[in-house]
Formats: sequence, C-alpha cells, structure tokens
Amino acid sequence: MRSAERQTDYRLGPLWVGGTLAGVGALLLGWALTVLGAWGPASVGLALSAFGFGPLLQALQGLGLLPLVRAMGETTAASPGALLWAGAGLWLLGWGVVAAGIRHRPREEAPSPAQGAPLHGRLQAERDFSWATLLTYGGGILAAELTVVLLQTALSAGVRLTEAAERSGPFSLPPAGAFLVALLAGMGVAFLAGALGAARARRLAAPEATLGILYLGLPLPIFFTLLHAIPSLSITFGPRLREVTYVAGLLGRPELGYWLVFTGLVLTLVLGITVGFVLAGSGRVDARMGYELFVARRHLEVFRPRFLLKLLGVLLLGILPPIVLFAVVRAAQAAVERTRIRMLGLQDPLKAAEALHRLKAKEQSPTQTMTTLSVGGVGVGVMALIIVMSVMSGFEGDLQDKILGINAHAVVYSYEGEIEPYEGVLGDIRKVPGVAAATPFIMNEVMVASEGNVSGAIIKGVDPATVTTVTSLDRDIVPRDAIQHLAHPEEILHRGDALGGAVAGPEAAGEGHGLPESLQDDPIIELPRGEAPGAAAPLPGILLGSELAHSLKVVVGDRVSVVSPLAGGLGPQGPIPRSAAFRVAGVFHTGMYEYDSKFVYILLQEAQRFFNVKGALGVELKVDDVDDARRISRRVLTALEGYPYRVKDWGEMNQNLFAALRLEKLVMAIILSIISIVAAGLIVATVTMLVLEKRKEISVLKALGVPDGGILKIFLAEGLQIGVAGGALGLGAGLAWCWFIAKVGIKLDPEVYYIPSLPVRIEWGQTALAVVIAVLVSFFASIYPALKASRVEPVEGLKAE
Amino acid sequence: MAFVELRNVFKSYFLHGKRIDVLRDVSLDVEEGELVSLVGASGAGKSTFLHVVGTLDAPAAGHMTFRGRSVFDMNDAELAEFRNRTIGFVFQSHFLLPEFTALENVAMPALVRREDRAQAFRDARALLERMGLAHRADHRPGELSGGESQRVALARALVLRPALLLADEPTGNLDPATGEGIHQLLREVNRELGVTAIVVTHNESLARSMPRRLRLEAGHVFPA
Repeated sequence: MRSAERQTDYRLGPLWVGGTLAGVGALLLGWALTVLGAWGPASVGLALSAFGFGPLLQALQGLGLLPLVRAMGETTAASPGALLWAGAGLWLLGWGVVAAGIRHRPREEAPSPAQGAPLHGRLQAERDFSWATLLTYGGGILAAELTVVLLQTALSAGVRLTEAAERSGPFSLPPAGAFLVALLAGMGVAFLAGALGAARARRLAAPEATLGILYLGLPLPIFFTLLHAIPSLSITFGPRLREVTYVAGLLGRPELGYWLVFTGLVLTLVLGITVGFVLAGSGRVDARMGYELFVARRHLEVFRPRFLLKLLGVLLLGILPPIVLFAVVRAAQAAVERTRIRMLGLQDPLKAAEALHRLKAKEQSPTQTMTTLSVGGVGVGVMALIIVMSVMSGFEGDLQDKILGINAHAVVYSYEGEIEPYEGVLGDIRKVPGVAAATPFIMNEVMVASEGNVSGAIIKGVDPATVTTVTSLDRDIVPRDAIQHLAHPEEILHRGDALGGAVAGPEAAGEGHGLPESLQDDPIIELPRGEAPGAAAPLPGILLGSELAHSLKVVVGDRVSVVSPLAGGLGPQGPIPRSAAFRVAGVFHTGMYEYDSKFVYILLQEAQRFFNVKGALGVELKVDDVDDARRISRRVLTALEGYPYRVKDWGEMNQNLFAALRLEKLVMAIILSIISIVAAGLIVATVTMLVLEKRKEISVLKALGVPDGGILKIFLAEGLQIGVAGGALGLGAGLAWCWFIAKVGIKLDPEVYYIPSLPVRIEWGQTALAVVIAVLVSFFASIYPALKASRVEPVEGLKAE
Repeated sequence: MAFVELRNVFKSYFLHGKRIDVLRDVSLDVEEGELVSLVGASGAGKSTFLHVVGTLDAPAAGHMTFRGRSVFDMNDAELAEFRNRTIGFVFQSHFLLPEFTALENVAMPALVRREDRAQAFRDARALLERMGLAHRADHRPGELSGGESQRVALARALVLRPALLLADEPTGNLDPATGEGIHQLLREVNRELGVTAIVVTHNESLARSMPRRLRLEAGHVFPA
C-alpha cells in the first residue's frame, strides 16, 4: 500500500499566540457590538454561522453580515466601525496563526515492495473533493432560486418577452399560474444542475452538495425571511419583489412558503444528482432498464393481483378489522393443521414431517413481510392524504362557493362616496377584458322590524336586471322569480301563496292591488309614504335571508319596516330616523349564517330614494377567472383612471379567512406526510434487508458484467416498485373512500357546520401530487440501500461457502 | 504480444488490521487458446489471482493488458462490459440466481448485454440442449442436482462465447464421477471453441491433464 497516512504535529507557540490574538479580536468585536447596540442582529449572524464549519468561515460570514448590522444599527458613528474592523481583523489573524501552527507530515515507514508501481485506475479515479462539482451544485440551487424569483416577477408583471407576444397582448399570467410556471422552471434548473454535476463527477458527491446548498442555496430564503422582519430591507426590496411576496403571503405565513419552495428545489437537486449518477455514474450514459427491471421484479413480486387485492381490501375495510380477522383465521387454521400433524405423527412420522414441511413452506419470509408492510404503509399514507385533502378542499370550496355566491368577485368604490352617474362607469368596467358582468349597488346598515320583532341588517339596493349575473342570489330563493318581483312589486305573492309554488302571477298581483288599505293601516310607521300617498301603489318588495325571516317571524307576502337611524338627515334635535314599509317578496338561503341572518335586498331605486342618493355606492363585478380577480381588478382600476376609484377583490375582502384555510390545509398535508416518512423508513429497512439477502446475487451479477450503475438501478427500481404499488393502492382506496363519503355521506350537525354532510371535493392536481410524493419518497428512501448494493465488492459475495 | 499479459501485479488484503500481501509482483503471459491450471495451498491467493484477472477485484498496483488493451485503466462501465463480453466465470458453488429458472440464468449475460430478449432465450435454450439439460430449462436452481447446476453455470459462462474462461475449483463441491464430466466439458470447450481457460483446482488429476501448469506460492507464480 502507499504510505498515504499522515501524522499531525501541533506547535505550541503559534497556537498560544494565535489563540490570544483571536481572543483579543473577539473581545474587541464584542465591545464594538455593545457600543453599537447591535447584539440583536449580530446574534442572527452568529446563529447563521452555525452552518459554517471552522472559525475562519464564521468570521467571514460575520464580515459579510456587517452591512446588515449597519442597516439595523441606530448609530452610524465611525469609531465603533473601526473597532469592528480591528476586532474582525485580529480574530482572523489569530486563527490564521493557529492554522499555521498545525502541520501535517507523512508518516515515516519502510518502503513497500510496490513502491513506484502504477496505481490501479479505479483507485486513481477516487477523488476526495471537487470544487467544480461544488460550484455546479451550489450554482444550480442558486440559479434555480433566482429562476423562480425572476420568472415569477417577469411573468406576472407582464414583461413583454417577444414581439409576437406584444402583438397578441402582454405576456402575463395570474399570480398562481406564474408561480407554478416559475417553480417548474426552477425545478428544471435544479434538476439539470444536479444531473450534470453528478454525471461529470461520476459520484454523488454528498459533501459538495451539502456545502453548495448551505453556502449558495441558503442565503436567498434567509434573505426573504428577513425581508418580512427587517423594515429597511422591506422598504428597499419589497416593491420589486412584490409578486413573490404576494404569492407567499397567500399562505398567511410567507416564510413557510419560501422554505417550502427552497425544500422543493433542494429535493429536485438531489433527485437530479441521483438520476445523473444512476445514468452516468459508471462512466457511460445508459438510461435503459432491461434486465434491471427483470431482476427487480423477480426480487419483489409486488405486482401480483392477489397480493394487491388483499392489500386494497385491508385499506378499504378500515385497516384494523381485516388484519384482526386475518390473524384470527390464520391462528385457527394453524391450530387445526398442527393438531392434524400431531395426530399423524402418532401414526406415521414421515407423513407428519412432510405435512410440517409444507406448513413451513407456506410461511412468508421476513423480506416478504417487510415488503407487504412497506407497500401498505405507502398506501395508508397516500390514502390518508387524499381523503383529508379532499374533505378540506370540500370545506374550502363550500365556503368559497357561499362567499362568492352572495358576494361579488370584486367591488369598485369611490373615495367620493357615491358614483354618480354610474352608467358610464358601468360601461367602462364592462369593457375591461376578463370582466364578465357588473352591477351597481347601494349598501347601508338598517333595522328591519316586523310586527313582533326587530333585527339589525345590512340592506343592499340592487338592480334586478343585472344582479343575478354577478351573484348567485337566485340560487336558492323562494319564490323562484322573487328578484324580478322587486322591479314589479304588484306581482309579489301574498301570504300563504308562496308555499303553493306555481301560483299564477297575475292573479296574485290582482289581489295585491285589491288591498291598498294595507298602506294606510301601517301599525309601525305613522308617516305616510313620501309620495302620492293616496295612490294605490303597492308596497315595494324586499328579499330577506332565511334566518332573518325566521327570527322576524315573517313569510313571503308579509310586511316589514326598514328603519335607518341616520337617513332622515339632521334635524334640530340630531339625526332624524327614517323608515319605510316593504313587502317580503322572497326569502333566500345561502347556507352561510352570517349572510342569511344579516342581508336584505331591495330595488336600487328604492334604496336611492330611502338613503337620498342619486347614483350608486359601488359597482360589483364578476370576473371570468375567480383566481385572477386581483389582476383583473387592477385592470379595472386602470380603465377607470384611478382616483377617485378603488377596487377590492374577494381575496382581499376575505384574505384572513382564506389564508387561514390554506395554511390549515398545508399544515395538515405536512403532518400527514409524516405517515409517508414512516413508510419511507420501512422502505429503507426493506430494501436494506433485500440488499443484505442478495449480496451473493449482486456479486454474481457483477461477475456477469452488470456495472455498478446497473445494480443501483435494480435496487432503485425495487424501491420504486414499492412506491408505485403503494401509491396505486392508496389512490384507489382514497378515491373509493372519497366516493363513499360523497355518495353515502357522513352526517354533520347542521347547527354547528351549516352543511348537512361532510363535503368532498377531489382536486385532481393535489391527488396526483399525493401519489407523486409517495413515489418520490420511496425513490429517495431507496437511494441509500441501492448505493450500498452497488458498492458490494463482488469478491465478498463470491467466497466459497 | 501475448493474449493476456500481467505485469507487476500487487494485491494485499487485511486481516485483523494486518496487511497480508497475497500477490507480490506477479507477472504472467497467457497465449490465446491455452488451457492453464493453477494449483496452490489453501489461502495462497488463487481465487484472488483469478478475481484480479477477471477484474472483479482491483489490485493495489500493476498492469494487465488483454489483446494489447490496458484493462486496469478502464472505468467501471468499461470493466463491466469487459467482464460481460470477454470473460466467463465458473465458481466452486454454481452461484446461479435463485429467483430465475435455469434458462433465465443462462440468458442473463445476454440480457445484461442488452441483446434482443427472444434471441437471448433462443440461444440459451440451444446451449442447454447441447449440454443435455433441455428438460431442466424451466426449473429453478433449487430443483437441480449439483452436477446439473454446475453444468448450467458453465452454460451461463459460455453463452456469450467468451475469449477467456476463468474457473475457480469448478469441481470442488462435486463427487469424482460428476467432476470428471465437468472436466471433460472444459476440455471440449477449449478444443472446440478455442476458449482460453485458466482453471484453479485442487484436483491433481485435472491439473496434470492440463497442457500448462502453474503454482501460486508466497505471492509469486511459478511453473509447476
């Protein structure tokens, strides 16, 4: 062997001097920090330097963070700055002296007989560290991060990329879409960098990957995290990075978003590294999977229909009951069989031995049991993820439907209060691409009183012709055409008629005309109606929410009074209340208690008269793409030329609610992914056991000419098989459970949830993601054992038995 | 230039932290078509020598050329291809893959070479027929006798018509009569196919029947 071993000498002089210098430097630094009052931010730097190894790197990092420290420090005096530099310099110098005091020298030894002989090529190829690989990996992760940030900004800000794009309109996507495209592009970059680096180095190069990710990958997510914590950073960079922070902010916790994206990119890099190594690690690019799959399938045999059906049964029937049942049946069988063998043994020992042998042959090997457990584990993880995500999507979708059903996607307000005349504005808004419909409204808070009860309410004056194009107020309303009755109060049904459903309109209207006395005999309102009290004008219509109608004890056709404490204007004794009588034209039901108990609708013109306004208080919009409401709102604002108008979209109006929902779902997904991690542990154990069991076969395959990469592929394929089988089972079982929940239904207490049964909405994207994650997890889990397998020395396995 | 040339090959292994030099400066030429026997005491390093020649084990130092091509400079993929295309191994135990039938075992080298699947199985079946094992083609190794297994292993070593056959005590686990059958096969293969073969053996009669005899002792190879 070569005399490669080295000895280490420590020279005490330089060690002492260097240590003292570094100590003085540290004291100076501490003093400077105290003078600056910058211990807070500096401790951030110190915490970050925990990633580094070696005091030198820590000191460099400390220096690199100086601008940050300065940006945060209140004082910008020069003297502590000089102190800081002196301390840092001494600190560095000290460590340099210490380093100079440590010397390696080769160990002295008698020359080996092989001295001077050429080294075997395979040993020559073993290199410890490659800066090029480190730069490829680190640069790759940094480039991927920059790709995500820049592409996201470019795509959603509408930067024109080519002339063609210019002609066909600005090249821009909704924020979520732009983020998806940017993320995919970033992942592509990370994957390519990993694959190229590993293919060039012909090894996984884990140290290079770790260092590259730590030093080149971490700064950007740290920067983004600090962006939210440090005001000066946020002022400087916030506006330029608003697209990125906006998408992250959709989660409610932007930091979580950044780190999730970072984790995703790192995982893609690792995936790329593995793939690059698998394909080219042996020194030649070979992506074919012929004999590799043949061997892998024979080793595991997870795709037997009976095996898969049994596992599916276990997942579908609630996991525990079938296992208990199976155990009981097996125990009974074994008891019967062993009793039989015992009886046989008394008569014919040979036959008994044969029966016993057959019984033992039926038992599974530990590897088979482990395989079953791993496939089942992956299946349970995927199934749980799919069911829970679908139910949560169901709740979210239900809530969104209800909120969007009663609210518009966006609302245009004016800082001047009223929009008058609103027809022109309405026309302008409708011309904006992406706007599907628009309707004017007036909104105010009033009291609604019936004969026995009073309740506070939000009253909305609407235009019956267009309101249903914007909101789905007409989705669940009794009677069906109640909204049109607002414009034609003479058609409002009378008490008792509404239940009949298909009451002939004109007849009912005729009766309505026949009862003008109801106008005069108003028990609540003494004041006659403002205009033409003598005329036989019917009472104007009003729509009430079902809960409000219930608490006021009114039905369609009943009279209610609307009282506004301020609408009467200012009198000598303060504000004068105003009231008016309405007839209940319809009762609507949205399913949201807040809306059903608070909202009432009247005709826009009635509202104008009642509140004494000429135009509208705002315009409600419906957009083509709900998820793009924010950008379309901005476009509307541009079309209206800004001030005095302002636009709020539904996401903004309900920001906290939806951010909370999304965060909840994300956290739930992360928690459920722990099941997948447990399954990954099972896969590691299973494939490791397989590798140990197959050492001999691995050696034989290598002797037959399988390269290390081929062995790697075989065992990766085995892990992947577990993932694919488990993923498919989980998908099947999860979808079956979702279908069951949707069709058969799980009852909920309507008083609490306001939904009769558990809602389920299967989102194909996230369902597919659950399966893909499972497959990826099993791939990652099998990397380590597969590497072990590929490194089995053929000689070990081929020792004669 | 010889068919196989070994120059200054060193190899050691480590036992309880001590270095044992099993090959010390071994140099050897083997000509094409030769049938060479290698004898030596147990633990002398015969198997190690064979593994080094078969590129299954990396020597600490040394040169080996095969038809003038330097072997130890190849990377992993090239070495694997070299083993697949030019070398056939037969071991003391048959080392058949237990999950695969005799036929699949014999076809495996061709599959590793990524030959057409159907063609690989046809070739394998034809070879098994020639060895009189057609009726055992679809049995797994567990169901074959010792002699049958070793003949299947020989078929697997020969299916790609290797230039060099390395046999490590191929009859060590067999009774004399069955062993003689394997010897016969080896000689036939050498004569009819012109395969160069290096056979490690303890069997004196087999060693004596070989045209060229070598002995491994104290890390050096001597003619015997």
